[in-house]
Amino acid sequence: MNQLSQAVSGLDRDILAFIEQGTENDQEFNRLALAAFELQYNHVTLYRHYCQRRDITPKDISSWEQIPALPTDVFKDAAFCLLPSETSRTFITSGTSNKKEQGKVSYDEGGLRLMDATIKKAASWMFFPDNIKALILVLAPPPEIAPHMVMVYGMNRLIEYFGLSASRFLIQKSGFDAKALADTLHRSIDEGVPVAICGGSFGFVNFFDYCTSKGLKFDLPQGSRCLDAGGFKGRSREVGREEFLDLCEGVLGVHRDYCVNLLGMTEISSQYYDNTLRNRQRGIAAGRAKVIPPWTRVMAVDPDTLTPLPAGEIGLLRHLDLANRGHICSIQTDDLGRILPGGFDVYGRARDDGSRGCSLSIDEMTRIIGEAK
Amino acid sequence: MKDIELKGYYLPTDFRYPISEFLTRVYRQGDISVRLKTPVVTPDMVNSLLVHLKENRDKFLVRMPVERIVGVLNEASVLWLDRDYVYRRQAIEIIPAITGFSSETIEASIDIEMESSLSDDMWRALHSEMGNPLYLDDFQYSDELGGYRRAFGPGLVVSFFSENIPALPHLLFMRASLVKAACLGKVASGEPAFAALYLKTIEEIDPEMAASMAVLYWQGGNQEVEDAAFSHADAVVAFGAVETCASLSKRIPRNIKTLVHGHRMGFGIIGKNKMTLAGVDELSRAVAYDHAMFDQKACLAPQVYFVETGGEVSPVEFARMVSGAMASYEEKMPRGRLSAGEAAVIHQQRGRYEIREFGGDDVRMFAPSCGTSWTVVYEKAPGLFSPSVLNRFVRIWAVEDIFQALEALRPVGQFLQNAAVAVGDEREAGLIRRLGELGVARITSPGSMPTPSMMWRHDGMATLASLLRWCDVEKKDDITGFKD
Repeated sequence: MNQLSQAVSGLDRDILAFIEQGTENDQEFNRLALAAFELQYNHVTLYRHYCQRRDITPKDISSWEQIPALPTDVFKDAAFCLLPSETSRTFITSGTSNKKEQGKVSYDEGGLRLMDATIKKAASWMFFPDNIKALILVLAPPPEIAPHMVMVYGMNRLIEYFGLSASRFLIQKSGFDAKALADTLHRSIDEGVPVAICGGSFGFVNFFDYCTSKGLKFDLPQGSRCLDAGGFKGRSREVGREEFLDLCEGVLGVHRDYCVNLLGMTEISSQYYDNTLRNRQRGIAAGRAKVIPPWTRVMAVDPDTLTPLPAGEIGLLRHLDLANRGHICSIQTDDLGRILPGGFDVYGRARDDGSRGCSLSIDEMTRIIGEAK
Repeated sequence: MKDIELKGYYLPTDFRYPISEFLTRVYRQGDISVRLKTPVVTPDMVNSLLVHLKENRDKFLVRMPVERIVGVLNEASVLWLDRDYVYRRQAIEIIPAITGFSSETIEASIDIEMESSLSDDMWRALHSEMGNPLYLDDFQYSDELGGYRRAFGPGLVVSFFSENIPALPHLLFMRASLVKAACLGKVASGEPAFAALYLKTIEEIDPEMAASMAVLYWQGGNQEVEDAAFSHADAVVAFGAVETCASLSKRIPRNIKTLVHGHRMGFGIIGKNKMTLAGVDELSRAVAYDHAMFDQKACLAPQVYFVETGGEVSPVEFARMVSGAMASYEEKMPRGRLSAGEAAVIHQQRGRYEIREFGGDDVRMFAPSCGTSWTVVYEKAPGLFSPSVLNRFVRIWAVEDIFQALEALRPVGQFLQNAAVAVGDEREAGLIRRLGELGVARITSPGSMPTPSMMWRHDGMATLASLLRWCDVEKKDDITGFKD
């Protein structure tokens, strides 16, 4: 084992222990973040140049907040692997079929172990705080069909850690079979088995629309829950959060506190869950927010200057995720959000604010004009 | 905090309609708060208003000699060019708060628009499009026809304004009144203030002329209101984004003359013989000006400059010089404030260029260390054109041959509008011919991209002549009673 591999596995051991321990410890977080930064700075050449242009080297900084954040889009142009030779899996961002516009994030075995640990820890706190096993039904294709979707990978881990044996993915090559899901839900009601429906938010809305058109309503067994992630992006109608929760209650019979929204991104190994299910379990009354697990930090920065904003002010979200050891810990997103008591909130991508009619792609413009003619 | 309340609409002074409800939108920037009041527009109100505008047009505007109309419009432009003119000062105070543009940009914008809207420009535009402008007043003898001829403008033009150029809406009122048409302007939510102020000017100079003009705001796409407007309109002129124009095009009845100024893009091409040590300093300032004006939001603005290699100065060196010029424009005429999304895409794009540069690609990025105020990137021209993220994001694309630019642009031919060309050798004429074939509607020099003349056939259309209907007298025997 070479020196770098040794250093990486030593760091992984510490980060893994920190994730599994799961307690807030600013000092230890900072130490690990700086250690990861130093390795990434020294061994990821492009990132080192990026930091050097900002006059930042590991020697210059003493706090994780000073670590240069890499914008998410750069994963479309280059790989940022600490151990490129040991890549075991690559995830690709969704949203476009244009290969040049797809971001790619690679993991080595150690990096995957860190991600797995975050999935297990975060879900056990936030989605299964009652420590049950559920019939996990995923509104997504299985890993065999979508090996590069990070959400599919994560859902597969959820099934492994928290799912009853009949848990499964519901989208096959032939598409999504809404009727099969409805039948499964009926069965689970008959058998009294709690269900966890997980998947893209748009998949839920399409299923709700199917149920409405068929006059279907469910009263899922106690302990059933929903986990949705991502936006709609034209794959279903757009639904506001409150309406979404109303539909979960109205169509599925799942109380809104048991409906948890998840923020996950290909560029970030960890996931951020709504606090509602955990708070309800613990009898805590608090506003809905996404919880920042101890091995991550989130801040909102000024969209123009990228300087951190005080809590409560809306800006672009920036993440520092220790589980990103393999591919740069500090990531600048273009998500709009703000820090709240007990976590943060996210309002979708800033670039979707409609301000840029001119940023329509040529294809989109041509299509719109063609339709008008 | 300075609190300014303002009408974001204009109605003729003699229009009596019981407006029951008003909407006030509040814009804040720095220590200025603007409260813009507009009536809540209903189909019934639009019906009454448009009938009224047409009546006033028949009563006043149609009977006015075109010379009087040109005189009024000229006087308005002259007033607006005066830095102390009260409405201009008001516009410069409030429009930045509403649009985010810097006040320096609004000043420059008003100057550009009004300097090209003086009587000489109007006469030349009229001559260029219709031969003899007096055809608008009465039958005139036409040598070509060998008989008498007259032009009639539409009764009413309804125009939809966009928000990207703050002082542009006046142009539509000029065009409509030159052809003696009543005009209702529907302002954009992003820039609702200028048009109403401009019509106040017209009212103060010539209330009879202003009596057939109005400005309103409603949420674009309000079908009932828009259908009411279309039911009275003889012509519709629409400016706007691709989606807006497409949606309007679908709904405007076919029998209405329609001019659509949809999304268009500009670009520049500079040949190696212009990349001289003696010339690039001025040229870099010109290129910077083309990007800085209107913060690159105008359709006229360049999305990319193609620069040929092989000159005395390399494209990358030229990019560096443009970055210096962009920095100095930022001091003279600061870029406006951006939405979070606009700023975010600039940071993301910059990151991508930086990473490609570090990875050894032939790419360079120049930008200030903090903030998004300007960016200059140099790269070898990728195969195909893609849109810029704008807001003073300059792209210099190196080409080995100027004609390569044509290949990159071919797929977007229908969106091309404005090209700055500086070739410096005999290939220029050939390039211009090819650009014309490709779809370009205006060719100019670097540094003149934001300042078309009124004679320019906007988006390739004869904007005045397209509104006209003609009556030709082909009666060969003598007619008495017409003036010669």
